[in-house]
Amino acid sequence: MKYILMMNTMKAGHGVPSWPKKDLQAHIAFMMGLNKELHECGELVSAEGLSFPDQAKLVRAGKDGRPVTDGVFPESKEFLAGFWIIDVDNPQRAYEIAAKASAAPGPGGVPLNMPIEVRQVMSGPPPDML
Amino acid sequence: MKYILLMSGTKAGVEAYHAWPKQDIEAHMAVLHRISQDLTESGEFVATQGLAEPREAKVVRGEKNGLPVTDGIFPESKEFLLGYWIVDVPNAERAYAIAGRISAASVNMPIEVRQFRP
Repeated sequence: MKYILMMNTMKAGHGVPSWPKKDLQAHIAFMMGLNKELHECGELVSAEGLSFPDQAKLVRAGKDGRPVTDGVFPESKEFLAGFWIIDVDNPQRAYEIAAKASAAPGPGGVPLNMPIEVRQVMSGPPPDML
Repeated sequence: MKYILLMSGTKAGVEAYHAWPKQDIEAHMAVLHRISQDLTESGEFVATQGLAEPREAKVVRGEKNGLPVTDGIFPESKEFLLGYWIVDVPNAERAYAIAGRISAASVNMPIEVRQFRP
């Protein structure tokens, strides 16, 4: 069963976090260690970090089919900071991995306990939609 | 340059989509399928996925003992990721053009375009 774990923690206009350098390094080292561990046990499908929200664009098709881009988002919008796609035996294992990612260290090495959204990835559209 | 094109919507929006006539859903799926085919042929396709329904989503936090705490209660206004496309393109404009095509195929829904961090 494939799941996507989403870190939706950033707000509009956000750039690089203003944490002390050593705290950022510890956070990144933790994430790299987690990815290595998931890779070694064969559960990692992919993991990516996204560019910061100040680079995000919203695109709609205009009347002539051309893209219309906008970079203005509501203040309350949560941005995807990064995600993992994992292939695990059951949802409980997905929740365990999400909890590990949730507890990544933040400023001063304190666990962030950030919320991680967990969603199953479908292999195709539901049969009743085909 | 890799970009992710994110299609998001609320629970209410997903329910409205389920109420579309079957032929409209089929036409919508057919256009999305054609976009994936075109991207494969141009060598720009990396991946696309649809996600399970918002009602099945969980939010997980680590607790002090490291055990996962799950919750399935989200504000009604929350936008859920419905699906995504990952494309590998020469520039941002090309990513926007693809997003525009997906938007046009999907009742002009806004598509969030984000570059992968190197």
